[in-house]
Amino acid sequence: MCLEDIIRVIKGRRCVRSFREGEIPNEYIHKILEAGIWAPSGGNIQPWEFIVVRNRDMIDKIKLVSPGLFGDPSVIIVVCINLEKAKRGGRIGESMAIIDVSMAAQNIMLVAYALGIGSCPIVSFSKTAVKELLDIPKYVEPILLITLGYTDKWPNPPARRPLEEVVHYEKY
Amino acid sequence: MKNTNIVKDPHFKLLSFLITSARGCIDEPQLYGSLRLIDAAARLIDIMMVEGKTTEELLNLKKAIEENIVLVMYDEKKYIEFLDRLVKDLAKIIKSA
Repeated sequence: MCLEDIIRVIKGRRCVRSFREGEIPNEYIHKILEAGIWAPSGGNIQPWEFIVVRNRDMIDKIKLVSPGLFGDPSVIIVVCINLEKAKRGGRIGESMAIIDVSMAAQNIMLVAYALGIGSCPIVSFSKTAVKELLDIPKYVEPILLITLGYTDKWPNPPARRPLEEVVHYEKY
Repeated sequence: MKNTNIVKDPHFKLLSFLITSARGCIDEPQLYGSLRLIDAAARLIDIMMVEGKTTEELLNLKKAIEENIVLVMYDEKKYIEFLDRLVKDLAKIIKSA
């Protein structure tokens, strides 16, 4: 394992909001999703469900109800929580599940970037409408859309709050 | 108009954007309300363009929106400055009419 490669991928990933045409091969989608399910999860509950949308008409319909979705992605992954599974986490189960699927989403976006594919996580979408469009059952809650697609426009990285500001050793 | 075609209609697209934004803005960061409005403005200019109602000045407004809209996520001060410039440009269009 090469540490430099991992750091390069972590620092290189950007939120891409402008995509060009180009079909993402199935094997790439498989690798990307596999990275998702290898994320850690509280109590190993693995509360995630992923809906892969590649149909152009359905992508356009999801765009209609997703004000935060920019550009024309080739694929949308709807990252969901299975509420029945999340219940196993007790009273904190649902918030723990959100943390779990967030870590899965990061894995997904990092592997996408490593494969030369742009991505963007989107919270600003209508969960109600997406549930209706994709026949998502009551016990499954969409949390995040991840758009995927090839791009010619990798945005510049926004400034990071420096380590000195955000890290507190031993005590706050 | 058949329901199967309505999702391609630019007015319907804007309508969907406005309704889902109206709901989303209740839970989202305050500044996103402004973001949705300015995004809707660009979408409206798109529709005006298809309908042959745009002028060069309006297209410049749209270009400015497209180039600066992401500021809302990175630099609030610059985003507000951009909106101020946009309002001034709009006022010039109104004034010269």
